[in-house]
Amino acid sequence: MKSSLSWIPLNWRFEARLALRYLMTGGGQTLLTIGSVAAGVIVIVFLTSLIFGIRAKLTKMLTESMPHVTVKVRDLEPVPLSEIQDLDSAMSSSRIEKKAPQLKFIDDWQHAIDTIRTVPNVRMALPAIQGQGFASKGGNPIGVSVTGADPSQQDQVSPVTKDLIAGKYVGLAADEVVIDYELAKDLSVSIGDRIRMTSSTGNTEPLSIAGIYSRGQGRGGAYVTLRTGQSLFGMGNSVNVILVKVNDLFGSDEVADRIQSLLPYEARSWSREYPSFVSSLTVQSASAYLISAFSLIASSFAIASVLIVSVLQKSKQIGILKSIGAKRSQILRVFTLEGLIIALAGSLAGAALGSLLVFLLSLPLQKTARPGHVPDQLFPVAILPVYIFGAVIAAIIATVIAAWFPAKRAASMNPVDVMR
Amino acid sequence: MADSETTTRSQIVVETRGLKKTYFGKVETPVLHGIDIQVQAGEFIAIIGQSGSGKSTLLNILGALDVPTEGTVLIDGVDIATLSEDDLAALRNRVIGFVFQFHYLLDELSCLENALTPITICKGEASEDEKSYVLALLDRVGLAEQINKHPDAMSGGQNQRCAIIRALANQPKVVLADEPTGNLDSRSGNEVFNIMREMNREKGAAFIMVTHDDRLAQEADRILAIEDGWVHEIDKREHRMKLISSLNDS
Repeated sequence: MKSSLSWIPLNWRFEARLALRYLMTGGGQTLLTIGSVAAGVIVIVFLTSLIFGIRAKLTKMLTESMPHVTVKVRDLEPVPLSEIQDLDSAMSSSRIEKKAPQLKFIDDWQHAIDTIRTVPNVRMALPAIQGQGFASKGGNPIGVSVTGADPSQQDQVSPVTKDLIAGKYVGLAADEVVIDYELAKDLSVSIGDRIRMTSSTGNTEPLSIAGIYSRGQGRGGAYVTLRTGQSLFGMGNSVNVILVKVNDLFGSDEVADRIQSLLPYEARSWSREYPSFVSSLTVQSASAYLISAFSLIASSFAIASVLIVSVLQKSKQIGILKSIGAKRSQILRVFTLEGLIIALAGSLAGAALGSLLVFLLSLPLQKTARPGHVPDQLFPVAILPVYIFGAVIAAIIATVIAAWFPAKRAASMNPVDVMR
Repeated sequence: MADSETTTRSQIVVETRGLKKTYFGKVETPVLHGIDIQVQAGEFIAIIGQSGSGKSTLLNILGALDVPTEGTVLIDGVDIATLSEDDLAALRNRVIGFVFQFHYLLDELSCLENALTPITICKGEASEDEKSYVLALLDRVGLAEQINKHPDAMSGGQNQRCAIIRALANQPKVVLADEPTGNLDSRSGNEVFNIMREMNREKGAAFIMVTHDDRLAQEADRILAIEDGWVHEIDKREHRMKLISSLNDS
């Protein structure tokens, strides 16, 4: 009769004992209510794991191979003379013509990098050369994006080594290049073969294939050392971009704004480069939250209706309890505790089953894979403890609220009416 | 004289003055027209009357479960109209015991746990002394072997005996019994009544029992009859004669 509940304060012990007994003798009804809560939590755990798993995978796919913020010399926009106030009365042209894109040098890149590193959330800043060129081996030249950077640092900004299917990237020599698998196929080259790389500025370098990589995202580019890049594009000791990697992907806009305020360069974040992607991620997240909220509301209604039936079934008992001295607050506590126990049992069971379901879903792999890589997960789910914890807390709050209304109804029952 | 009156007053556990009750529904229904009763400590009172005469209404008002339209109810000297809801709950818990026509034991609790309910409601847990007291009472009414059984595993008479012990668990000053034998066969009914009478004598709690059974009413110290919302005391000798003649007629 006591012992097992001795840890509960005396003024709650009667209520706790009765709530537990109600649940233990409730049989199918208890299981049904616990099942309702568990189902709600399973839906939330499953849904958030799937949607946020997909979101993480898409974001990773998009941003892993690109810098989070790209710093380069601002392209000056031409302004009509009529918009320059000082020249009100002067002659003006109505024809606006943009300048052709040109490689612009960041001469003071060492100072710029030091400044960028002081910005919060910046993980690393890498001086690099980026430009267009042509790769050829005997036949027709094929257009290719060329990146010149220190390989080990480049690996931290947009990894190449991990996507290698042959050869090496780190330790690249000045006369070597790493190219994309599709480009290698089109050029019919393999490791050790030599190709000619011609930059948009007209410089040409013979380069030997040191590595071939594949990101599975269509044709990629070519990677050379910073020195080779500078030589190809005639940049001397300058660079034309600084590639920045941040810790919090979704804080890239703030980092870009901060860099722009500190340096006379243009800083563009990945999220501003792909606004529709960011917007679709936001829609996905909002949908996940919305569906989670609806599933919680649905299970709350189920719980409330089962508890209302339970209260009605026990109305005579409530009457007798009040007639032998139970206070309104005690009756309220009995049924709220019943709801709380249901909430705890249901949400923990739901979290466990939901996590198990997500784990099982994470096992199947896709039938096809990128060359040289293991296949990706069929369902890109991710078990996210913070969302599981959030689902448990949300379910507990929703269930207790759902239980509170029937509990209040029970507490306000008039014993004379219910026992008549 | 004054001393004796003071002593008498101090022994009154239930008193009503000009108690009226009217139900205000679609039709105004006056049930009690002005009841004045006094119940002494340790008295056993039977209230008889036709169905719908207001017996249960009176009992509910005496038990602080219902409120009168007019008049005063004093329980153990306290005007219950002055008490808050929580104070009324405490009064029902410690001063009053209830026995109903149906036992209304909690199916989820054992016989002993049910009998201890008034104590656990009040204190959360019964002390060893309180448990011994209740166990002795259960033993006294022949339920020693049943203490771990739940209501659905006991007979109607056993459940009603358990309900009586529950009413006595907190050693109340008055036990209100609303047709406690009404749902039992005559043998079990007699057993239950005898137990109530014995408890009344042993524990000194006043008993007010509403009953339809004239034979049981005859065993009470006093008989109060409610007719058309008025109460009057019946002479036990007259009642006995009436009872004998009705038995002879049948």
